[in-house]
Amino acid sequence: MGHINDTLRALWTTLRTAFRPTSTVQFPAVVRPRGERYRVSFALPDDENGEMACIGCLTCERICPSQVIKVKPGVKRESPVTGKKRAYTDDFVIDLSACIQCELCVQVCNNDAIVMVREAEQPMFEREDLVLGFARLRKNATDRTRSWGHGTMLQESQEPAKVEKKAPAAKPAPAPAPAPAAASEPAKTEPAKTEPAKTEPAPEPAKEAAPAAVEPT
Amino acid sequence: MEMTRATLTMQSARRGRVDPHRSMRAYDADADLMLLHFGPQHPSTHGVFRMDLHLDGEIIVKATPYVGYLHRAVEKLCERLTYVQQTPVVDKNDYVSPMTNEQALTMAFEKLLGVEVPRRARWMRTLFAELQRIASHLLWLGTFALDLGGALGGGSTLFLHCFRERELILDLFEEVTGARFHYNTHLIGGNRHDLPAGFAAKVHSALAIIESRLAEYEVLSLDNGIFKKRSHGVGVLDGELALELGVTGPNLRASGVDHDLRRDAPYGAYDELAVNVVTAQGGDCFARTQVRFGEMRESIRLARAAIDGMPEGPICGHKPIRQPGQAKATSGQVYVGIETPRGELGTFVVGGGDTPTCPYRLKIRPPSLHALSALPYILPGATVSDAVAILGSLDPIMGEADR
Amino acid sequence: MSALGHGALYGAVLIAVMLSTVAVGIWFERKFAGRMQSRLGPTIVGPMGLLQPLADVVKLLQKEDIIPAGADRALFNLAPVLATIFSLGVAAVLPLSPHMIAADLDIGVVYMLAVGGLMVVPTFMAGWASNNKFALLGGMRAVAQSISYGVPLVLAVLVPVILSGSLSLAGIVRWQSEHHWFALWPVIPGLPAFALYFMAMLAEANRIPFDIPEAESELVAGVTTEYTGAKFTLFYLAEYVHTLVGSAIGAALFFGGWDGPFGPGLHWMVAKTLALFVVVYWVRWTLLRLRSDQLMELCWKWLTPIGVALVLIAAAWVQFAPQGAL
Repeated sequence: MGHINDTLRALWTTLRTAFRPTSTVQFPAVVRPRGERYRVSFALPDDENGEMACIGCLTCERICPSQVIKVKPGVKRESPVTGKKRAYTDDFVIDLSACIQCELCVQVCNNDAIVMVREAEQPMFEREDLVLGFARLRKNATDRTRSWGHGTMLQESQEPAKVEKKAPAAKPAPAPAPAPAAASEPAKTEPAKTEPAKTEPAPEPAKEAAPAAVEPT
Repeated sequence: MEMTRATLTMQSARRGRVDPHRSMRAYDADADLMLLHFGPQHPSTHGVFRMDLHLDGEIIVKATPYVGYLHRAVEKLCERLTYVQQTPVVDKNDYVSPMTNEQALTMAFEKLLGVEVPRRARWMRTLFAELQRIASHLLWLGTFALDLGGALGGGSTLFLHCFRERELILDLFEEVTGARFHYNTHLIGGNRHDLPAGFAAKVHSALAIIESRLAEYEVLSLDNGIFKKRSHGVGVLDGELALELGVTGPNLRASGVDHDLRRDAPYGAYDELAVNVVTAQGGDCFARTQVRFGEMRESIRLARAAIDGMPEGPICGHKPIRQPGQAKATSGQVYVGIETPRGELGTFVVGGGDTPTCPYRLKIRPPSLHALSALPYILPGATVSDAVAILGSLDPIMGEADR
Repeated sequence: MSALGHGALYGAVLIAVMLSTVAVGIWFERKFAGRMQSRLGPTIVGPMGLLQPLADVVKLLQKEDIIPAGADRALFNLAPVLATIFSLGVAAVLPLSPHMIAADLDIGVVYMLAVGGLMVVPTFMAGWASNNKFALLGGMRAVAQSISYGVPLVLAVLVPVILSGSLSLAGIVRWQSEHHWFALWPVIPGLPAFALYFMAMLAEANRIPFDIPEAESELVAGVTTEYTGAKFTLFYLAEYVHTLVGSAIGAALFFGGWDGPFGPGLHWMVAKTLALFVVVYWVRWTLLRLRSDQLMELCWKWLTPIGVALVLIAAAWVQFAPQGAL
């Protein structure tokens, strides 16, 4: 008899679910919105002067664990915009088919020259078509929506707290714990310069109104 | 005592247990036993996994598991990658709970390099680990139901319900890290991504939904007569054998052994958040299900406590990743074990060697491999249907068993 | 037109109608299952996914026909054909409406049980001839299950036979339309007999929770592991038709068939059949499957004794019930 009761309850549960709204949508007619930090493809944006930010330092190529980035640095020459001499990059290729989307290339870029974007590339018929060339990467900077993370901001948010020089309500650090990472202030996350196409305001580490830090015990 | 094959055989015989190494010649030739290759292409082997089952009708007489079909030489690859490049690679070991993989690896590197992690980062890691535990157990429940009920039937209903709730957790992770599945959010010294504004509210609403649905899952599984029939007394793993084989995690706790690294060797925020360890007696599939349900509830509570008590502060205690070769170790060997949804995941790192920026040796102790090693002991005497249920209840992930 | 010609035409129309019902049934099952699993089901092929079954059949039919090495070719090729023939054969005695019965046999029940019971033969043929251990295991389980569950099936069907005193399906339905539906009165043995019939029908048609012969998670695809293309389509179809016909027989034996308020008609029979069909799917997409020995235990330790008891109660009722209550 217990089995009959169990069976009926199970049947009732599934029937109830049948009349709830579905949790799936018909793709591609309806596209689920992705989070602001979603990262799936790449772009090479401009810097604040309007020319390509990448200076060909090759850090991203060296850090990539899957070795999918190939950068060809160019000769240093005068910039047509600022007149100052700067480094350029001649070619930049990412093999998206082998990329593991770890964001390390974005993390290490001191110039915010490579960012990730939120829209996936179209599926292709040939594997070779998944290799993103220079033109595609430059186009993505204007065509696609940027993901939230870019190098300088990420690096700044990960800095262990140092004594803040211009904190608005700087409290003297209470007795520091022996650990080198003793927190005396919440880390600043506003990046120094503003990006031309920043999507959302810089995130705050869930801090409430009071900027005062709590010394971890 | 040197654990040779002969020793194990004698020990098993003394305990009256099945001898998994018994030669097939020892069986009666007239018994007409059938050899069935279970896998590697099979809907229920939880990844590529093969078992050679010797069957007497439907009863298994001898079972020999074969692993290695998913071996990807991760440990060798990690010898060629620098310390800061390794986190995204170990994500893919236990591909069902990547947060704990990353945590185990970075904790080992931190111990090797002598880096301390700030309090907020430890609490964030604990929050992520508990959310990941819920997600992993939900996936386990769904796939276990698939094993018992079939992809074209009741099993798939529970499977899709569990995944619907798992999506909530993956969405939370996407909010923080930008990736739904392989996050690369841990770095040596802390975390790479800080929690966005409004995260606490999202966590609470997701956990509330999951908690309410847990009751529905119980109706379709733990309280269901057919489920109870399929799992009571099936695949009994006794505590002593489990300890001998190195089985950890829910499989061990379901055999009555009260051992949980979160409480017994606390790391992260577990020294401040008390963990109620869930155990069960019986050691059968039903006990393992009970333990995992209990752990899901406990993880919901811990995740709530972690997000409510999240301290302020920096999220990293060491320098951010700027260059591939920035972390160097010339000597030292450390072992760090943490409690993942499958058991104790250990990382053993030896620093030094020719390139100080890469580890000399990285060894990962996968809990799934030890769980699979119990199969030759507990499968004989069960039927083929039970073999599927037992394999499912041990929750093996071949990616981590084979690396 | 001669009787033979009339029968052949009628049979052809009936088969065509049943296959289209199966097509709609496949669509409805996938939508219903989708909703129970909190997802949409087919939506793209045709409006609301209505052409999905057609797409499925076309896809299956155009696949390569593979016969494994070492397979017994004659049996391998014959099995799906026989399965289709036997499952469609039972439809000959379906009492669709007072004027629409393909073959109004006096021993319709016996015919139905006999031909339905023959379904075990092509299942085992497929299991044996495939030269595949998974298929063989599935085939063995299928034989054990089908033969065992034949007993409660017969016992459950005997209850309406005894209560109405007729072995003809049309006769049973006529009796019910004059008196009352057996599932409603007498409640004992009518309703338990229906429950028994339902479970035995699920087992005979290899549906979850009794689908051990094609346990997909254990035996890849059970007896149909090595079948591809058109032959697999025939097995797939045969299983659906078997379930549909089983639901129709259940509607006829226990729920009054064509009987209903505002006059008898085909629409009532269709409605009841489809209602039972939906319940079969509801059960399929909710419950887990029983292990083969638990299945056997259920059959022999529970259903068979209960079935025998129900037959005795039905006989006692007919003998001793006061005239008005009958």
